Amino acid sequence: MEGIIKIDNLTKSYGNIKAVNNLSFKVKKGELFSFLGINGAGKSTTINIICGELRKDSGTVLVCDQDVDCDDKYIKKKIGVVFQESLLDKSLTVYDNLKIKAALYNITGKDFIKRYDELSSLFDLKEIEKQPIRELSGGQRRRADIARAIIHNPEILILDEPTTGLDPGTRKKIWKVLNLLRKKQNLTIFLTTHYMEEAADSDYIVILDKGSIIAEGTPLELKNKYAYDMILIYNISEDEIKKLNKPYIRIRDGFKIEIKTLEEATELIIKNRNLFKDYEIVKGKMDDVFLNATGYDLEVE
Amino acid sequence: MRELINLTKRNVKVYFSDKGMFFTSLITPIILLVLYATFLAGIYRDNFISIIPEGFKISDKLINSLVGGQLVSSLLSVSCITVAFTSNLLMVQDKVNNSIKDINVTPTSKFAIGLSYFASTFISTILVNVIVAIICFVYIYFQGWYMNINDVILILFDILILSLFGTALSSVVNYNLSSQGQITAVGTMVSAGYGFICGAYMPISSFNQTLQKILSFLPSTYATSLFRNHSLNGPFREMNRLNIPINIINEIKKGLDCKIIFFDNNVTIRIMYTILILSIIILTVLFFLMNKRRK
Repeated sequence: MEGIIKIDNLTKSYGNIKAVNNLSFKVKKGELFSFLGINGAGKSTTINIICGELRKDSGTVLVCDQDVDCDDKYIKKKIGVVFQESLLDKSLTVYDNLKIKAALYNITGKDFIKRYDELSSLFDLKEIEKQPIRELSGGQRRRADIARAIIHNPEILILDEPTTGLDPGTRKKIWKVLNLLRKKQNLTIFLTTHYMEEAADSDYIVILDKGSIIAEGTPLELKNKYAYDMILIYNISEDEIKKLNKPYIRIRDGFKIEIKTLEEATELIIKNRNLFKDYEIVKGKMDDVFLNATGYDLEVE
Repeated sequence: MRELINLTKRNVKVYFSDKGMFFTSLITPIILLVLYATFLAGIYRDNFISIIPEGFKISDKLINSLVGGQLVSSLLSVSCITVAFTSNLLMVQDKVNNSIKDINVTPTSKFAIGLSYFASTFISTILVNVIVAIICFVYIYFQGWYMNINDVILILFDILILSLFGTALSSVVNYNLSSQGQITAVGTMVSAGYGFICGAYMPISSFNQTLQKILSFLPSTYATSLFRNHSLNGPFREMNRLNIPINIINEIKKGLDCKIIFFDNNVTIRIMYTILILSIIILTVLFFLMNKRRK
C-alpha cells in the first residue's frame, strides 16, 4: 500500500516549546490510522500542518504526494475534517449547511443534489435536513458533521475525537458508516480519539508524547509490547492462589494474575490444573498500552 | 470568484437567520425612535416654531416635515453604521466559535474569505437600510411630503456611501478582535456612542465649540450632514417659496448640521462626499492590506 500521508522529521515550536519534535510517520492509503496522545502531545499541531492551517518549522509533509507548502488548494480538496466540536452554522439548516460548504468545493446545482442524495441515504439526513443545527441532538449533529466533511469525496478523512460525548449506540452507528466508506471508497481515516476501543480497530497506531513518537505499530504489536495478558481465576481462596507463587490482584469473585506470554499461561495452568477450575485468559487492552507507553491515564473529556 | 460569491451568500444568510444578531443591529435606531417619540420631536417642533419670525404663518405639515426629515436623517445615518458593525461581527464570531476552521479547510483562499465578510457586510447593510429608508419615506409621506425625486435618489446614494463607509470602518475595527468580550465591548460602544458623535441624537451644533471642532475631523459628521441636507431639502424649498427670510432658513440649516463649518470654512456637499469617499478608500485599502498579511 502506498503512503497517502508522509511525514518526515516534522518540527514545530511555539516560542521555546516544541509542540512537534522531529516527527516521522506514514499513513497508508485506505487504512484506519490512529494518532493518540494526551492533550498537548502535538496531535492538533500535526493535524493543522497536514491541513495547511499551520506552517511547519522544518521537515516535510506530503499529502497525496504533494508538499503541503506548495499546493494547499489541491491538498484541501483531498482532505475532509470532522472537528471535535460541531462547526456547522447553528442557525442554518442541515441542508443549507451542506449546500454552502459544497459550493466552497465548487459542487453546485445538479452535482450537489446528486451528492446530497448519496449522503442523505448514508447518514439518514432526510428526517433532519430542514432543522437548524442548533436543534439537533449530539448524534444527529455528528451525522451532519461527517456528511459535511465528506461532501467533496475526499481521499482522507481526519476525525478529531469524533465520538466524544456520544452514547455507545450512536458511536456504533457512526463507525458502521465510516467502515462502510472505507470499504466502498478506500477512504483513509486519520483518527484521534480518547476511546481506546476505537483505536483497537485501527490498522496502525502512533502514540505521541511531548511532540515525539513514543510508541507505534499495529494494535497487536503494541499490545504485545505494552499490555500484559491476564488470567482471571474465580472461585478460589487466597491461600490457594498464593501457591502459584505469582503476584496477584484481588478482584470481585476471584483474582487477577498478570502474564507476559500465552506460553507462560499455558505452563501455569498445566502445572496447577487442580486450581484452574473456573478461569479466563484476557488479552491486554489498548488502555493498558496507552497507560504503559505514556505513563498517563487517559481522561475522556 | 465563485468561492467568494458562495461564501458571501453564506455570511448574508447566517446574519439574517441569526435573529439575535439582526435585532442587535437595530437597537440604536430603535433608541432613536423612542427618543423622538418621547421628547425630541416636541423639542424640535417648539424650536422651529420659535425661530420663525412673527408674521410668517407656516403649516403644521411643514413643521412635521422638518421634524420628520431630521428623524429620518438621524435614523439612517446611525443604522448604516450599526447594521454594518453588527453584520461584520460575524467575522469575529466565526473566530470565537471556530466556524472559521471549517471554512479554512476548504480550498477557499484566505483573501477571498476576508473579502467575503466585507462584501456580505455591505450587502446586509444596504438591504436593511433600503428597507429602513422605504419605511422612512412612508413616514415622511404621512407627516408632510416636500421631497422630489432628486432628494430620494440622493438619500439612496447617501445610504450606499455610508453603508460602504460603515463596512470599511467595521472591517478594520473588527479585524483583530477574537473574543466574545471584545464583540460585546465593540457592539456596546458603537450602539451607545455612534449616535452621539455623528450628531444623530443631538445636532453637533448644540455641542460646545471644542467638541464641535474635534467632531469636525470625523467623517461621520459629514455623513449625517449629507442625510440632513437631502432629507430636509424639500421643506427648505417650501420655506423659500413661502418667502421666509434666507437668513432664518440658514440659521435652521446651521442648527440642524446641514451646514458644517471646518475652521471658519463652509464645507460644501461636494467636499462632504470627497471626505467620505477618501475615508472609504483609505479604510478599504487598509483592510485589504491586513488581509494580505494573513496566513
